[in-house]
This record gives sequence, structure tokens and C-alpha cells, in this order.
Amino acid sequence: MSGFAAEGGEVEATGGDEADHAGVAGEAAAAAGEGAARRKPVVCIVLGMAGSGKTTLLQRINLQMNSSDKQGYYINLDPAVTQVPFGANIDIRDTVNYKEVMAQYGLGPNGGIMTSLNLFATRFDQVIGLMEARSDSAEGLDYVFVDTPGQIEVFTWSASGQIITESLASAFPTCLIYVIDTPRTTSPTTFMSNMLYACSILYRTRLPMVLAFNKSDVTSPDFAAEWMSDFEKFQEALDETADESYMGSLNRSLSLVLDEFYSTLKHVGVSAATGEGIDQLFQSLDAAGDEFIRDYLPDLQARMAAVAARTQAAKEREMTKLMADVAVTRGDKPLREGGEGDAMDSSNSG
Amino acid sequence: MADDGGEEDQLPCFGQIVVGPPGSGKTTFCHGMSQYLTALGREVAIINLDPANHGERLPYKPAVDIEDLVSLEGVMSTLGLGPNGAIIYSIEFLEKNLDWLLDKLRAHRAKYLLFDFPGQAGVELFTHYTCIQNIVQTLQKHDYRLTAVHLVDAYHCSDASRFISVVLVSLMSMMRLELPHVNVLSKVDLIEQYGPLAFNLDFFTECTDMTRILDYIDAPARGADELDRDLQGAHERPQGDATSKKLSRLTREICDVVESFGLVSFTTLDIQDGESVGRVLSKIDKANGYVVQSAAAAAAAQQGRDPRAAANALFQSAFSGNEADYEHLASVRERHMGRTSGDDT
Repeated sequence: MSGFAAEGGEVEATGGDEADHAGVAGEAAAAAGEGAARRKPVVCIVLGMAGSGKTTLLQRINLQMNSSDKQGYYINLDPAVTQVPFGANIDIRDTVNYKEVMAQYGLGPNGGIMTSLNLFATRFDQVIGLMEARSDSAEGLDYVFVDTPGQIEVFTWSASGQIITESLASAFPTCLIYVIDTPRTTSPTTFMSNMLYACSILYRTRLPMVLAFNKSDVTSPDFAAEWMSDFEKFQEALDETADESYMGSLNRSLSLVLDEFYSTLKHVGVSAATGEGIDQLFQSLDAAGDEFIRDYLPDLQARMAAVAARTQAAKEREMTKLMADVAVTRGDKPLREGGEGDAMDSSNSG
Repeated sequence: MADDGGEEDQLPCFGQIVVGPPGSGKTTFCHGMSQYLTALGREVAIINLDPANHGERLPYKPAVDIEDLVSLEGVMSTLGLGPNGAIIYSIEFLEKNLDWLLDKLRAHRAKYLLFDFPGQAGVELFTHYTCIQNIVQTLQKHDYRLTAVHLVDAYHCSDASRFISVVLVSLMSMMRLELPHVNVLSKVDLIEQYGPLAFNLDFFTECTDMTRILDYIDAPARGADELDRDLQGAHERPQGDATSKKLSRLTREICDVVESFGLVSFTTLDIQDGESVGRVLSKIDKANGYVVQSAAAAAAAQQGRDPRAAANALFQSAFSGNEADYEHLASVRERHMGRTSGDDT
């Protein structure tokens, strides 16, 4: 695997004015501990199941950004995609050759994607560096969009996905855009499964989430908005499909859980095809960025400190054990009577 | 139902459906479990229904292989689908051709079956498609008594929040499969590879007092040992944890559901440890009734002599085996986690 390729396909937006978010800029700067008045860009990790339209949505976002004065930056993390229509600033494919990885390691398609992501994650600090350099430059940066592999589990259930997410969140306000294939999610049980999965992602990443109900030109997401705001309506729809069985009763209890889940996030109906809802999407992303700084950043820092503390404590435990062993084998602390000099055998070292 | 089958078709057939995210160890599980079962004298047949599992990469020899029905590469090249799309297509194709599967299974009816299910594209198959459910329901109609074994890499339980994430995904698959369900934390021998656990292993496996998890989520900065000792008394909740406050109501609701339905508990597994495999197997056998079936067979043998003794033996075998769980957990902790034996539950 060659070293990091230089950025290619830079997106040049027209104009270079910094986004006008004076209040947030002050907060962000304070939180970041810098003296700069510049606001940090909001990083948006785009997640969704294969076919939900992540890449097409990014293409639409790119179009919108081009005709505004906002600065965007695009990162593609899908090693198996054939075409990236939005012109990525950083593309995993420049660094990792997915087919080559499969061949060299004797992997199938899933293993190939996984391994490519793993390889990329080891260099991710370079990506952060490039992003920061761009953010500090004259034009600045308002948004960073990260396209993830089509197979959602490869990102959400892997160590490298976690490393990448945490690296981004440590350096920038970060949020998740969870893209939903609206036409396929019209049945209440499918809707519930999808929402449970989104909820599981929320707990895995602990980042603000925006639900993007995509393909609104095909199926209006009004039904989803109704189900998410009116618990009774969702129950009615569910009761029509579910029965009085054990599962029926579990369904009902879980929909109460989901009702609480919805209150923690924002949702927007969008169409990547027509551009409908994109303005609202940007508003939600801005709000998510603010939310990150206010609610999520302290938690993230506390967790990182906790992990460091636990690792340190574990190291200290091991060191103590080791020192005890060394003391014993040196004969400082004889184990049994008459065992001083003979304590070279392996003692019960825990 | 089988009108042309022999006597064997009338006996129920027992087995496991192995599901879980990619990398959780399903194929390794099927292989290890089959070796264990064989050592116990139980005849096993592994049914590979994961289109992405290719013959030459499989550690086991499948008795039935979906590759004989539909080839992933063939679908990808003929229909121009990516790997995910091709897997979904293959499973839908299987759903439309269940006669093929039922026919192939007939030869193995007297055996214990292990179904290796797709990991990749598993999420889509569970949320957006009904093919997996339909396949499972059809098998049940033909009296295949199955336990869903949901594998998750134990690493995903390295903190409370991630554990809740795992619980949610387990719930999701439970609801879709509608089968007796056993959750397994696989690769427990590697559990502390990425750092020490936030709290005791038995928390995960017992999962009866889920509200305890709230304490752990709210107090991330404290050491694990401190938290362990603190369990009985009231805890102070640190003020500044805004995300926790944000999520605490949601977390509480999730915990309530899990507790009140008594649904979710996990068993640890180290596939290389026979004792560990045996414990998981005993839970699986209880879940689908195999243990009762085999005890019933033994009981029927002495039915003529003393029916009541036979019934007692039946109940005893079905409900035994729980008392040693704590000792087992203590030994798993000792073996795989960096704790001293001073801990107790």
C-alpha cells in the first residue's frame, strides 16, 4: 500500500466568505481552546443501508454547496464504489486498492472492504491533519461530508469504523446523517426495525443524529413524521399488522421506547433527485453541530479520560504483579519454609 | 405436510439458526459446535445459507450449500449487482425455491442441524425484507424446531453504551425471527484486548437488573473496581454529563422493556473451550426443547415400569444446569480478564 496520495479533485466553491455564525463561533473557539475566531466545520458522517441513496444525496449536497457561499469538503470511505459523483477531496480508493487487497489477502468482498477500511484507519490521523489544514486556510471550511461503505455493518460494527468516528469527533463537531430508504420503510414493522437499528447506532457512537428520509419524491415521508410525533397513530398502524401474541405486546412496548428516541433527534424529508428538503437538512446539520459542542463534547472528553484511566490502572495492576513476582524469584519473600533460594520455580503469580 | 415421507418425517428435527453481524464468528461457531456435538455422539449436519461463504473458505463441509442453488458471483456478473445486492437476491431466490431446501434437508432429518445464515447484508435482510422470516416460518411448519443463536463479538461490550447498542440489535433480530433466542458473546477469550472492561462480566450475562446500567452510563470517569464495590449504596451522579442526561430517559425505557419481558441475557463463549461450548449448547437445547425431547425418549424407555419416575426424570433434566453459572463466570473472569480472585458477584 503506497503512502497517502495528495488530495485530488478539490471542490472549489464560488466565493470564500466565512459562514456567519458569530455566537457559535465564539463557543466553538472556547471549546476548542483556540484563540481563533474561526468556527470549526461540522463533520457529517453519512450512514445508511445499501440502496438508501447516501452517495446520491451527497451529490445533491455538493450541487447545493457549489451554488452557495459555503465551503464543503468531501471524504469517500467506500473502497468498493465504482463512481464517486461528488468529487472527493480525500478518497480511500487513492490509498487502498480494494481488489488488490482482496487478491493479496485472499478475502471475499466483505473481508476486502473491512480490511481496506482497517488499513485506512491506521492512517486516519493524516486525514485529520489535512482537514485541519484546510479548515485553517484562507477559505475556511463549513461542512465536511463523509461517505461510508455501502455495507453499513462494516462501519458501524467495526473497530476501524469506531476509530474513524472517534478521531473525527475528537477534532471537530461531528454528527451522523442516517439515510433512510423511505419507499421501503412504509410498513410499521420495517419502520420499527429501522428505528431500532438507528437507535443502536446512537448508542454505539453517542453523537447527535439527523434522520434523512430520502427519496421523498417517490414516497412522501409524511407518514413517518406522523408516526414519530403521534405515538397513538403508530400504535394503530402496528396493531393492524401485529397480533395479540407475545411479539405483539413486545412491539407495543418497544414503540414507547422509540417515542423517547425520536425526541433526541431531528428528522428531515429529502429528495436527492429533486433537491427537496436540502435547505432544512442544512439547518438540522447546523443545529446538530451546536448540539455536539453543548451536549456531546464534554461526554466524549470524559469517556476518553475514563478509558485512559482504566488502561493506566490496568497497567499499574500488571506492574504491581510483576514486581511481586520479581521480588519472589529474587528470594526477597520466600514462599514456603526453607524455600528462600529455591524460589526460582514459577510461583502462583495470579 | 409430508405425505410421502417415511416415519422420520413425523419426528421433529432440532437445530440452530446462527445469526449475527459479520465478524462475530458464525462460521467458526458452526464448525466448533459441530465438532462438540459429534464428540457427544450427536449426528450433525451443517447447512450453509450464507451466499458469501465459499466452499474453499469454509472450515467445515456443509451437508447442504446454498451455492448449489445460486452462485453469488453468477448473480453479481449476470445482474450487475454489488456484493450486498447479490446476497439479498440470493436469499430471495432461496425463498422462492424453498422446495429445493426442504428436499435437501429430508436426507438429514434424523440429524441435528446447524444453519449458517448470512452476516453481511444481515441488517438489510432483517429490516427491509421478509425473506428470512418466511424461510424460518416455513421450516417451522415442517416441524424443524430451531433456536436462534445470535452471536456478537464480546468486544462490543466494552462499555455500557455499546452494550445497550448490542441489546437493541438482539431485540431487533429476536422480533424478526420469532424463535426461541439465545444471545452469545463470542470470542470472550479476547474480551479485554482493547482495554479493560468497564464492569463485571456477570452484568452482561445476567441482564436481569438492567437499571444498574444507568449508574454506569452516568459515571464514566470512575474506576471499575470502585463501581463494583459501590453497588449496594446510593451513587452520586456527576453533574456535567449532558449526553447521559439526554439519553438517560431513553436508556431507562430500554432497560424497563428488557427487564419486564425478561428477554435479553447473554452467554459467554470461547469456541476453543469445550466446557464453554457445552454451556451454550445446554441453553440452546433448553430453548428449542431438544433437552426435553431426548429426556422424553429416555423416559419412554422406562415408561412401562414406573411412569411417575419417568416424568420426574424428564423434568429434572429439563430444568437442571442453572446452579453452576456463577462458578462458571468466576472461572471465565479468572481466565480471560485481568482481575484478581478477590471479586465476587
